Amino acid sequence: MRRPGARAVWALHLAVILLLLGLQVVVPPFHQIMLARIMVLAVYAIGYNVLLGYAGLMSLGHAMLFASGMYATGLTILYFGVGAGAAFGLGVLASAVMATALGLVTLRASRVSFLIVTMMFSQAFYLATLYFNEITMGDQGFIISGQLAPLRAGGREFAFSDPAVKYNLALVVFALCLMLSVWLTRSPIGRVLVGVRENEERTRLLGYNPLSYKLLALIASGTIAGASGSLYTLMFSYVGSSFASILYSIYPLLWTLLGGTGTTLGPLLGTALMTYVVDIASGLTSSYLLLVGATLLILIMWFPAGVMGGIRTRWARWLP
Amino acid sequence: MSFEGHLFLALLEGTVTGFVLALTALGLSLVFGVMRIVNVAHGEFFMLGAVIAWYFSTLPGGFLPALVAAPLLVGAAAFLADRLVLRRLEYKPESTIVATIGLLYIIQQLVLTVYGPYARPVAAPVYFRLDFPWFGYSGYKLVVAGVSAALLGATWLVMSRTTLGLYMRATQQDREMAQAFGVSVDRVYALVFALGAGLAAMAGALVVPIQQAHYLMGLDALLMSFIVVILGGLGSLGGTVAAAFLIGVSDGLVSVFFSPTLAKIVATLLVALVLVLRTGGLFGEEGT
Amino acid sequence: MTRLLETTGLSKTFDGLEAVRRVDFRLETGEIRAIIGPNGAGKTTLVSMISGRISPTSGRVLFKGKDVTGLRAWDRVALGIVYTFQVTSIFKNLTVFENVALAAQRRLMTGALSRLTLPQRTLAEHVQAALAQVGLPDAGDRHAGSLPYGHQKLLEVAMALALKPELLILDEPTQGLAPEEIAALSRLIRALSRGVTMLLIEHNMAVVLELATKVTVMDKGDILAEGTPSEVEAHPDVQKVYLGL
Repeated sequence: MRRPGARAVWALHLAVILLLLGLQVVVPPFHQIMLARIMVLAVYAIGYNVLLGYAGLMSLGHAMLFASGMYATGLTILYFGVGAGAAFGLGVLASAVMATALGLVTLRASRVSFLIVTMMFSQAFYLATLYFNEITMGDQGFIISGQLAPLRAGGREFAFSDPAVKYNLALVVFALCLMLSVWLTRSPIGRVLVGVRENEERTRLLGYNPLSYKLLALIASGTIAGASGSLYTLMFSYVGSSFASILYSIYPLLWTLLGGTGTTLGPLLGTALMTYVVDIASGLTSSYLLLVGATLLILIMWFPAGVMGGIRTRWARWLP
Repeated sequence: MSFEGHLFLALLEGTVTGFVLALTALGLSLVFGVMRIVNVAHGEFFMLGAVIAWYFSTLPGGFLPALVAAPLLVGAAAFLADRLVLRRLEYKPESTIVATIGLLYIIQQLVLTVYGPYARPVAAPVYFRLDFPWFGYSGYKLVVAGVSAALLGATWLVMSRTTLGLYMRATQQDREMAQAFGVSVDRVYALVFALGAGLAAMAGALVVPIQQAHYLMGLDALLMSFIVVILGGLGSLGGTVAAAFLIGVSDGLVSVFFSPTLAKIVATLLVALVLVLRTGGLFGEEGT
Repeated sequence: MTRLLETTGLSKTFDGLEAVRRVDFRLETGEIRAIIGPNGAGKTTLVSMISGRISPTSGRVLFKGKDVTGLRAWDRVALGIVYTFQVTSIFKNLTVFENVALAAQRRLMTGALSRLTLPQRTLAEHVQAALAQVGLPDAGDRHAGSLPYGHQKLLEVAMALALKPELLILDEPTQGLAPEEIAALSRLIRALSRGVTMLLIEHNMAVVLELATKVTVMDKGDILAEGTPSEVEAHPDVQKVYLGL
């Protein structure tokens, strides 16, 4: 009763999904691919936001979870010719396992240590992708388009090279993860996570074990990140070490901060803005990462709530 | 080359690496210890030192003035960063981490714009070879080790014998108390941040004749410094130096006999575990 | 009366300093027990060990005859031991409703499914009931941080009540309150005590004498005296140590 506008919340998110569904008909091909890429990366940001926005834990090691999804999908296709669906499932599973292991080890650390420790584990993972370059092809990476069979459904074939297939696949996964995140944040678990974020000691004395809830958040976060990585591999057919590098841990942090930490639509907005900005900038200069740094600095100094956070405080208190 | 030869080379290389690492990590450790913040841009100060040193080597004055100029210039830049950014964030741990990640990319990409994507070598200011039974060794590397040792000693003197050092130690132990006794904590913070950056820049400048200057060289320096600081205990000069040698020598050994990448993987994982298992967390008093 | 809580030989040492020394403490169902004593007597340490916030150096805690010494705070909450903080500890950035809902849902989350979704109406009814009990029925939509201090204390109590406690530990509930607020809170505690056993740490002697059915006096980690308010008041040691006579 007091939680405002459950209907309005679901309707808003549904409208965003329908808008994205419609956009593919009107936008030119270049932007269709851009939007597909934004949606799949926004899934990554949604996953990151589950941990940062709701459990209040800042990780610098999500590249490891994103890349686990990528490598599990890419390698099984490359070496064993696994089908796309199974490879996706394996990617999600691999990142879930990785997130569980990472959580069991790192959540014992306090918040600042958690940042550093996740970064170090992720860096070790990155170095491992370089070290085992006979399997992973290291920095150079590998392409799976030759080994990847098209999806078959209802007697029709859907090739991953087809932009429309890319777009709608990304949309389906994005819509699922967005709705999952909305529902999670409105669930009893989501309320406990916010409690842990706001006042861990109090939450403990309200009868909740903070550690197990943080672990749950990290697993959910990592699994969603892995789904994004896995789908990215299927859509763009390429896997390389750079996706495991620290930059790919910083990107979701940046997207989430820009869009608005702890808002459900923030990750999409932040990813979209930043992806377009970086795309334009990288056409102009090789130093486009300067924008990444400058945006981070400006956000943390003047706009820590991000775009959606700002909108929420100013106009729409009911936004989740 | 015989096994003893390899072993000796590994130890020698490890010692030199250890000295440079100690110098770089000491800066990070001071910032960690006194200001209680994690400076992710620390590696970029190291890189800036190296690039400035390269620039000086192209001037008529040559490389040597860079050993004075690089730490001063980088220290000044860090001083500004503290005043304009960190202080405004009130040194909140997570905000400063995000901000220093921002600084990392800003510095790195500005260097890429101005300096370019090249790895540029610098001729050593002194050139002589030491001949060992198994191989000849660059004398400059030993000079680097010597200068680093001297600077570590100087920092120790500053910390233990000067008023600034006293202020720093007081601030590290109890910020409020130090303030109550008239220590200007703001000024101490800015100076410590500048000093930390200056030490890193000095290390960067010193290694340019060995390593070449490149705009991406900061990340490795950062990670190695993290490892050393976590292992050595923060703000502890002795611990930092000991950990730097341990890491330097074991890195040298594993690198010579196995692979440098494997050495880094092992070190990173081990230190991450140390950090997790150490009760009380990074700053000793966090937790709960 | 039946025994609700018992500690045997309960001790806590901080850095070699004995905060609580081999305390044997008993509490019967339905009591309003006040623990009094000078600062540093070990009162908060004792109740912290009872609530599970800190673990004892030695000794045992029994709740309804069951050894709960090894249980963590969150498990003891599930058994009915609820603690409210001395310094108000609420979720200042959340609404009053959300504060109480977080407590209320703990009782409703009984299976895996209920962790994922709860009927809004049931939850709201529980929240509303708790808020009404403490006299804040209309505060649900307000930000907890914007409440006046006295109301924040009441919110704490509402959160505790939403947990359906059997033993409610109140750590200095009247501290910082105005006289009329103290009177209202005392009435509330008395009314609640019909269903809940109360254990309060209290400095305000007037409140203690008015409310408590039994008083425990602590000093330097030991129990100095125990009895009815009038017995304790007359106890010579108590007068010397605590009342400063």
